[in-house]
Amino acid sequence: MDSGKFKENLLLYGTDLDQWPEAIRQVMITALENSPELQALMAEQGKFERVLKNRKYEEPSNDLTHRITSASLQPDIRSSVSLRLFLSRLFAEGFYFPKPALLVGSTLMIAALVIGFVIGFSSSTGSMLPDQRRANLQEFLHYEGNSLWGKQ
Amino acid sequence: MDCSLRSLEDEALIRQIQEENYEAFVELVDRHSKRFYSISYRLLFSKSDAEDVVQQAFLKLWEKRLFWDQGKKAKFTTWFYRVVVNLCLDHNRKKKAMPLLEGAEPIDKQEGQEVLLDEKRKQILLEQFIQELPERQKLALNLCFYENLSNKEAAEIIGIKVKALQSLIMRAKTTLKGRLNHHID
Repeated sequence: MDSGKFKENLLLYGTDLDQWPEAIRQVMITALENSPELQALMAEQGKFERVLKNRKYEEPSNDLTHRITSASLQPDIRSSVSLRLFLSRLFAEGFYFPKPALLVGSTLMIAALVIGFVIGFSSSTGSMLPDQRRANLQEFLHYEGNSLWGKQ
Repeated sequence: MDCSLRSLEDEALIRQIQEENYEAFVELVDRHSKRFYSISYRLLFSKSDAEDVVQQAFLKLWEKRLFWDQGKKAKFTTWFYRVVVNLCLDHNRKKKAMPLLEGAEPIDKQEGQEVLLDEKRKQILLEQFIQELPERQKLALNLCFYENLSNKEAAEIIGIKVKALQSLIMRAKTTLKGRLNHHID
């Protein structure tokens, strides 16, 4: 193994030989035993890793778990999920839908409802032309008149 | 707490949580809060911010528990690492970067304290150099070197291929090595 490749692997897998992939570990050990140059590279990398490991770290507070679980019981969070829980329970009682299917199904139903409303309102009398309305009214009066005359 | 929950795998706990088993949520938080705090601390370099982010992530999990899709068969920790990392990145984008060296205490030349101060100075420099790395390199280094995750898992969390992750790790370490050699030795 040449020193360039060795250096690359050192950066990638570190100085702990157990972390090296099995496929190259044995070649690496043999090369290391026979080369003072590679041993020097290994020592230099070890020094670098010790500096990295010396990075500052602060342990979390002892009550972190308690803090998180307490916050999850806050009323705003409970209320925000209650409707969803209610619906999921409702559906879970009788039949089961996978969650995405349920979501897609309900979205489609709402969309169909909205489209229905839009079509319904747009084709109502509000969209009729004034001339058309007048003609319809005359037709109606004519019919009503005839039927009245007919009765008499 | 229900002792049987301790023997359950994370994904089984999530299913319990979806069935409103609050004890299962407590078990999951207890099991993983320290691990996710660790990566948050590495990315935010602030204890209180890291704790806030971990809390926020778990609350999101609780709040949106019904949206967890078991069909995708994602490992819980991989998925949750992604959630936490994204929250940290958002947090860092919102928060103005604080120059670490300006925040450091002035070096006191009293005898006997020099070694300690030198260590502290090295830590501050190291942190600064890590923070100055490009985001992905920093993430790769933190996940693989400090959190001891496998290359495969780290690549999955970042959303890249293993080869690309290895390249990020090598570039990060090479940069750090050069800068540390220049400033510390």
